[in-house]
Amino acid sequence: MSTAIAVEALTVGFGDFIAIRDLSFHADYGTVRGVIGPNGAGKTTLLDVLTGKSRPRRGRVLLDGTIDLAPLDEVARALAGIGRKFQKPSVFEALSVWDNLDLALRLHRRSLLREVFAPAAAKAAPIAALLETIGLTALRDQAAGTLSHGQKQWLEIGMVLVQEPKLLLLDEPVAGMSEEETAHTAALLHRLRAPGRSIVVVEHDMDFVEQVADAVSVLHEGRTLFEGSMAEARGNAQVIEVYIGR
Amino acid sequence: MKGEGSTWLAAGLLSLLLVLLPLLGFGLLPGLALPIYAVNLAGQVMCFALLAMAVDLMWGGAGVLSLGHGLFFAFGGYLCAMHLLRSAYAATHKLPDFLLFMGHGGFPSWWRLADSAPLTLLAVLVLPALLAFAFGYVSFRSRVNGVYFSIITQALTYTAMLLMFRNDTGFGGNNGMTGFHAIAGLPAGGLAAAVLLASLSTAAVLAALLGGRALLASRFGRLLRAIRDDEPRLRFLGYDTLWLKLAAWCASATLAAIAGMLYVPQVGIINPSLLDPTLSLEIAVWVAIGGRGGLTGAILGAVLVNVLKFWLSAAAPTLWPFVLALLVLLVVLALPNGLLDLRNRSRAWLLELAPASLPRRRPAR
Ligand SMILES: Nc1ncnc2c1ncn2[C@@H]1O[C@H](COP(=O)(O)OP(=O)(O)OP(=O)(O)O)[C@@H](O)[C@H]1O
Ligand SMILES: [Mg+2]
Repeated sequence: MSTAIAVEALTVGFGDFIAIRDLSFHADYGTVRGVIGPNGAGKTTLLDVLTGKSRPRRGRVLLDGTIDLAPLDEVARALAGIGRKFQKPSVFEALSVWDNLDLALRLHRRSLLREVFAPAAAKAAPIAALLETIGLTALRDQAAGTLSHGQKQWLEIGMVLVQEPKLLLLDEPVAGMSEEETAHTAALLHRLRAPGRSIVVVEHDMDFVEQVADAVSVLHEGRTLFEGSMAEARGNAQVIEVYIGR
Repeated sequence: MKGEGSTWLAAGLLSLLLVLLPLLGFGLLPGLALPIYAVNLAGQVMCFALLAMAVDLMWGGAGVLSLGHGLFFAFGGYLCAMHLLRSAYAATHKLPDFLLFMGHGGFPSWWRLADSAPLTLLAVLVLPALLAFAFGYVSFRSRVNGVYFSIITQALTYTAMLLMFRNDTGFGGNNGMTGFHAIAGLPAGGLAAAVLLASLSTAAVLAALLGGRALLASRFGRLLRAIRDDEPRLRFLGYDTLWLKLAAWCASATLAAIAGMLYVPQVGIINPSLLDPTLSLEIAVWVAIGGRGGLTGAILGAVLVNVLKFWLSAAAPTLWPFVLALLVLLVVLALPNGLLDLRNRSRAWLLELAPASLPRRRPAR
């Protein structure tokens, strides 16, 4: 199992406030890594650093164990294969479900011009297949802004999936979903596992994390409190104290 | 794309105007003739409509509001005026007044570049876009967005106005440039020139409407709307939005420059008042009143406000600012998406009154 993403001695601050301190973290290809922790633990901030939204004060972020991501902006990181679903569903509300996916699907990563002029027909088959996967086929022509919260979550997951990222970052993918939808998402994540893909799931839903993740990292106040299996995490006194027990 | 119907209606009306202008202008229909000032007014209003579309392309299209499009409008206008003055000089060998005032014995030698009409047209199409590119590149690159961007566009235009107000800048200073002799061989100020210019302006609006709608309906247009909705999200999908915004921004500047090029021969003069921030602000008002994002609203707003302004400033000049303010208030409070919204609103009102009588709308794509 090779390392997909590694974070070394990371510190992130906003003004006087330190959101992440001296954190080390890694995720491997072929696995699903869960990240849990109380509100404000720094989970979203960690994803912000991986995707280039926030810059760290100290520390390094390495893709594939070797490529230092510091010089790459968020666009370059997306093109390098880092896909992210945001905690707050972020879809283009004025566009239809189909058009959201049409923009997300990249046929020409190296040329914006060719991407803009790529024939719509070339994207039709993968989009139609993806719509089936995320169960939004019937709503394909509806404006994304009219979807329910759960449907927006699905759409955004679809937008990230259609990019076939090698590092897939999901920030609270089942928040606002019904039990049935959550089970559906868990099944989807199982199918998404691939030797060439690493998946990181930030979630508060413990049962969901236990179902999908091979290992979990528990963050607390910007540090790693625990690393191991979800079952072990549930039995860990410190974890219970700061998070689960509350 | 919303507003498909209003596009075709607007395109139809513009085509009709295009046919009627020569017919009525030259009095070819018995008993029906337009006075020259009406032809001229129609032409000027069309130029404003084009200018409003340029702003709407960026504002409605990508959510980027320019409060400085007077700059590109004036740029096109000054280039056109230079060409007209050079051709007037070639015909009459009389130097324009502003050069005489300045005590110059002739044109600066580089003005000869403006002798050629094709070269001038090329300059109108390219130079304002280049200026827009330089300005847009610096602003968009440093992620200057929203109201900050709007303010900077206004500051840039204001700076240009101060520059052009100076007599030693060499473009007529505060008096501006006037004294055009002929337009495309037709005597300036004559009926034939007026009809030609008004028709050209109308044709330009029609072409921009059809071209612009096609652009907005394309993937490029959808990318612009995605920028308007959530630009960071688009960047996290791997799109360098800088280039998308720049492309639209430069196209918008060119459109405004074409409007200026057509406008100046119709008013017979150019001076720095076109660079006054109030004009640039007013363009945004036209678009806001008509309705953003579909180009037809921009045309509607520009036509409505300018015709009203023309009529009222003759009938009751003191009233105009109040009427405009009232219009703005009305739109902001009752129809936040502009007058075009009236269709949807009235539909909703009708539906409340008589739910079954209206045919169902097809879902928007
Ligand atoms: N841009 C920012 N500026 C200032 N403070 C920030 C910023 N982003 C995050 N923070 C702070 O950093 C801390 C960590 O926030 P983060 O969003 O990473 O938490 P989280 O673990 O994702 O929590 P949640 O489970 O509630 O989503 C919080 O206290 C938050 O207020
Ligand atoms: Mg979070």
